[in-house]
Amino acid sequence: MKERSDAQLVILARSGDSDGFEELVRRYQRAAYAVALGVTGKRQDAEDAVQESFLVALERLDDCRNPAKFAGWLLTIVRNRSRNLVRRESLRGGEQIPVSARTTDPGPDRVAHLAALRRRLRAALDGLPEVQREIVLLHDLEGWKHSEIADRLGMPSGTVRSHLHFARKALRAELADWKNDG
Amino acid sequence: MQEQVTRNQAMRNNDRRTILAALDPGRDNPGYWRECRARIMDRVAFELARRRAAARASVAQVLSGWSRSLIPASVAAAVIAAVAIASESQRVAEPPEARLVLQDVLGEAADETGLEALLASDRTASPSAFMALVEGMAP
Repeated sequence: MKERSDAQLVILARSGDSDGFEELVRRYQRAAYAVALGVTGKRQDAEDAVQESFLVALERLDDCRNPAKFAGWLLTIVRNRSRNLVRRESLRGGEQIPVSARTTDPGPDRVAHLAALRRRLRAALDGLPEVQREIVLLHDLEGWKHSEIADRLGMPSGTVRSHLHFARKALRAELADWKNDG
Repeated sequence: MQEQVTRNQAMRNNDRRTILAALDPGRDNPGYWRECRARIMDRVAFELARRRAAARASVAQVLSGWSRSLIPASVAAAVIAAVAIASESQRVAEPPEARLVLQDVLGEAADETGLEALLASDRTASPSAFMALVEGMAP
């Protein structure tokens, strides 16, 4: 069966079609998470921002003027909600929520190793400008292509490549000694 | 040489992806994204239901809007049709009388005896004389 386009799914979701909206969630939840993580730097906050963003997106779905560009429109909402969340957190002076213990019990060494790696990665990502963080996560974590990122973030492909290049260079420098640590 | 550089580049890309995969919450919990989706769908259930109800209501509004303009239009069309049928039947009934009157007039104008006399006469050889007789202008 032919896969339905974003525009078709948006039209279905506008009339309250649950399957249509769920397909949009399935398609973009990972990208939304990558963007949210790029802004918040915390898993729990990123999850909250993603959930909130999908709800807001549905409530404002009639404002999405070009349903074919749903992904870019959604990611803008995710970015804004994530920034709001960070602002609220900083006003509350909230402390970092630990990584969820919801794992398949890989053993204490591996857990410790993963936790350390995550801390290093977050620190390295924190050092990047937000747009570079977002692009490197969408490309290297979610596997989006340059053209997809360019299209959905509304920027030239060359700019995406340039941001990606500088982001990777910075991450490489930050994580150069990781293998020795691991 | 170029091939070696490309291969090294690809390996570095894979390394990066492997390292960044540590940030993927689905890495340690295969059901993570499904659960995440279920939580999102729970949160949006009310809004979806509201949209379904609104869509149903808008269909009903369209139909009732149509019926509001359709009923007076149908009534007007029926009245016009009735008037048209009535006037047509009246018009259809009138012509036989009118034709009868015309025939009578024509009958009067064409004097049969005059015509017989004229036909017997040599003067009918002239077409103008025949026409004058028919038109009631006997010479």
